[in-house]
Parts: sequence; structure tokens; C-alpha cells
Amino acid sequence: MSKKLWSFKFSTASLVLIPAAVGINYIGKLFAGLLKLPLWLDSIGTMLASMLAGPIIGALSGAINNIIYGLTMDPISFVYAITSIAIGITVGILMYRGLIKNIYLAILSGIIVALVAAIVSTPINIAFWGGQTGNIWGDALFASLMAKKFPMWLASFLDEFVVDLPDKVASLVISFLIYKGLPKSLINLYSSDDEIERL
Amino acid sequence: MRMMSLYKDKDTIIHKIDPLNKILYILASILITMLISDFKILTLTLVFSFLLLAIGKVIKNVFPIISFSLIVLVTIVVIQGLFNPNNKIPLFNIGQFVFYKEGIIYSFLLILRVLNILCAFSLLILTTKPSDLIENLVRRGLSPKLGYVLASVLQIIPQMLSTMDTILDAQRSRGLETEGKLIKRLKAFIPLIGPAVMNSLISTRERAMALEMRGFNSNIKKTFLNEHNETSMDKLIRYLIIALIIFTIVWRLVWLK
Repeated sequence: MSKKLWSFKFSTASLVLIPAAVGINYIGKLFAGLLKLPLWLDSIGTMLASMLAGPIIGALSGAINNIIYGLTMDPISFVYAITSIAIGITVGILMYRGLIKNIYLAILSGIIVALVAAIVSTPINIAFWGGQTGNIWGDALFASLMAKKFPMWLASFLDEFVVDLPDKVASLVISFLIYKGLPKSLINLYSSDDEIERL
Repeated sequence: MRMMSLYKDKDTIIHKIDPLNKILYILASILITMLISDFKILTLTLVFSFLLLAIGKVIKNVFPIISFSLIVLVTIVVIQGLFNPNNKIPLFNIGQFVFYKEGIIYSFLLILRVLNILCAFSLLILTTKPSDLIENLVRRGLSPKLGYVLASVLQIIPQMLSTMDTILDAQRSRGLETEGKLIKRLKAFIPLIGPAVMNSLISTRERAMALEMRGFNSNIKKTFLNEHNETSMDKLIRYLIIALIIFTIVWRLVWLK
């Protein structure tokens, strides 16, 4: 079974899921902006793709998401592709292991995803921004921790984590709710598990 | 329909350079800025990038891209100037806040790095049509399926934007409140994103069927719409950049000892 989780043989359905996932990420971000939410909610598509088609498709969605963002808006997003890949892989594994079953487990998984995202982003933040994230609240925390002589990597990690935590938990819970509401015929379309039962 | 791209269609020598060379230029730029922390060299590479952008007639299009990162760059100066752990020599003070020399120098180094990388990326983004870039990468061995995925993202997003307006109007006419308290706005998110997700997932099913009908999965070698001839100048530029990358790594290794 575990072989199928990491399969690089994509069905056409799961390949065309990738552009849809990138589009959902983009629309999520726009709706969040429209509703003036203090969150980005720009990884819902990546998370849904991981839930539907596994970690590899999720990781590809994440990477392509950032490549397209980089090409069309902000080049810096190229380097954060690694974070998106990590999010896709983490959600895919959590889903495969059956850890995203109910809303509480979804919240817990959101915390795990936020941790992974923060760990992956911290070295990038240190290399590019001296440890900052560009988010006012996170950077205010970063400044106060630096003033208290905390090590930079820890201050930077906490800066990223406080920003990621509410965002990733909310994104994963929303993705989970949408996933639960999807018709079976759609979910089966992407599952790589194509065993045929014999009578 | 709004085009999803920052590409500026102009007829300059920079536009004609092979996209792969521009990608190599970005790699070289990242490598140089990460390995070398010398103000003179970093300024020189930045000036060179600006020169290339000027030849490509896209220099004024770089500033909106830089402005994306402007606020962070300003706060870097403030935070590093005040709190960098290596701070020793006070430089100046505003009110009771003392700015230190080490932090200011470090922050300027970071800014130079970011500007260098942004300009190198801009050179690719502003002077290369995304579809040309994708075609070029497929020609050089990127899986055509992934090429299709990349190209279709650029098509799908404008389509989804128009469905987004439809959904917003439809839900508002049903009485969905999109303003008010945070909880209310957060609750409004699901009825907005839900239909958008359903819509796009259902259309992927149709898209998948349409693609398979047209032999998307066939393993026969794919042909290209446009012909491509690599000029000797493209080759020369590529060898120059590769030589520069090797030189930087070697120089850094020697210099470290």
C-alpha cells in the first residue's frame, strides 16, 4: 500500500487537479482579502489536492502554485515553494494515515502542518530577511524577542509560527469541511487505489 | 480578460535571449549574493542587472515588483539596527532608540541581496512570455504533462476569477453577510469558497476526459508549435554564466581558507 502513496504515476484526473488546486489557493486568498480576514487562507487548494490525490500531487500543487505566483506577481514566492511542498507532503501523509477524521483531529493536524511550515520557512526567512516574515504581528514579536536577546533562529521560528498557526489550522479545518462535503464520485476520481474486487 | 503575467511585449535583444540563460542568470545571482558578502561586488552585480533591464526596456516595471517587498526591507533596517545581537558601536539615535552600526550594515547587506535576486528574477519574468518559457523547458526535457499543467494554470485562474464574481453575487443575493464582526466574516468564507471548489473539481473531471480523448496519455514523441533555433550567442552566454558560477564557488572556497 505504501508504494501507492509515493507513486509518481499520475492519472490524468490527478494531473488536472493541480491547476484547479492552484486556482483554489488563489481564490481562497482573494476571498480572505475580500472578507478582510486576518489570515491568508492561500493553501486550501494544496491541502485539498493532498487529501484527494496524495502527498506527491499535493507537493506538486504547492510547488507549481509558488512558481506561478512568482512568475505573475512576486518573485520572492519562488523560494517559498519549499514550504508549499512541505505542506502538501505533510497533509498527504496525515490524510493517508487516517489522522484527519474529524474536526478535532483536523485542528491537531493543522498545528502539525503549521509546525512543519514554520520549520521549513525559518532558514529562508533568516537568509532573505534576517529572520523576519513581513507580517506586522509576527515581526513585532520578533523585534521584542530580539530585544530580550533570544537567539535569532528561535525568534525567527516563533515569528513564523505565530503567523502560520492560525492560518494553517483555519485552512486545514476549511479544507476538511469541504472534503467532507464532496460527493463520493468526485473523491474516487483521484484516488490512486484502483483495486478491483472480484466476486 | 486579464492576462496572468508580468510579461512586457517588446522587441529587444534581451527578449530574444534563450529563457534557460535567464534562469541560469537567476541561479548565478542567488549563488553570488548568498556566497559573497562584499558591498562592492553586490552593488556591481545589481548595477549590471539594472543595465540588462534597461536594455530590455523594462526598468520601470521593476519598481512595482520591488515595492512588494519594500515594507519588509524598511523594517529590516529598523529591527536589525536596534536589536542585531552583534550590535556594539552606536551610530545615531531617534528619541530613546539607539541604532547600531553593525545592525545597519547587516541590514543593508540583506537589502542588496534581495534587490539583486529580485532584479534577476524580474529579468526573466518581464522579458519572457510564460508560454515560451514553458515550451522551452519542455523542449529541454521537462515532462510534457507537467508543461501542460503549468500552462493550464495560467488559463484556469482568469476563468476562476470570473466564477468568483458570480458566486459572490449569488451568495449575497441569498442574504450572505460579508461585512461585520470577524466571526461573521469567517463564517461567510465557506459558502464562498465551497462552490468555487466544487465548480473547479467538477470541471477537472470534464477536462480529464477531454484530454484523454485527445491522446494526452500517449507516449509518442510530442512535437512543438514553434520552431526553435539556438543561436551561437545563446550558447556563448550560457558558457559565460556557467563559468561565472564555477568561478564564484572556487573563489569563495579559496577565500574562506
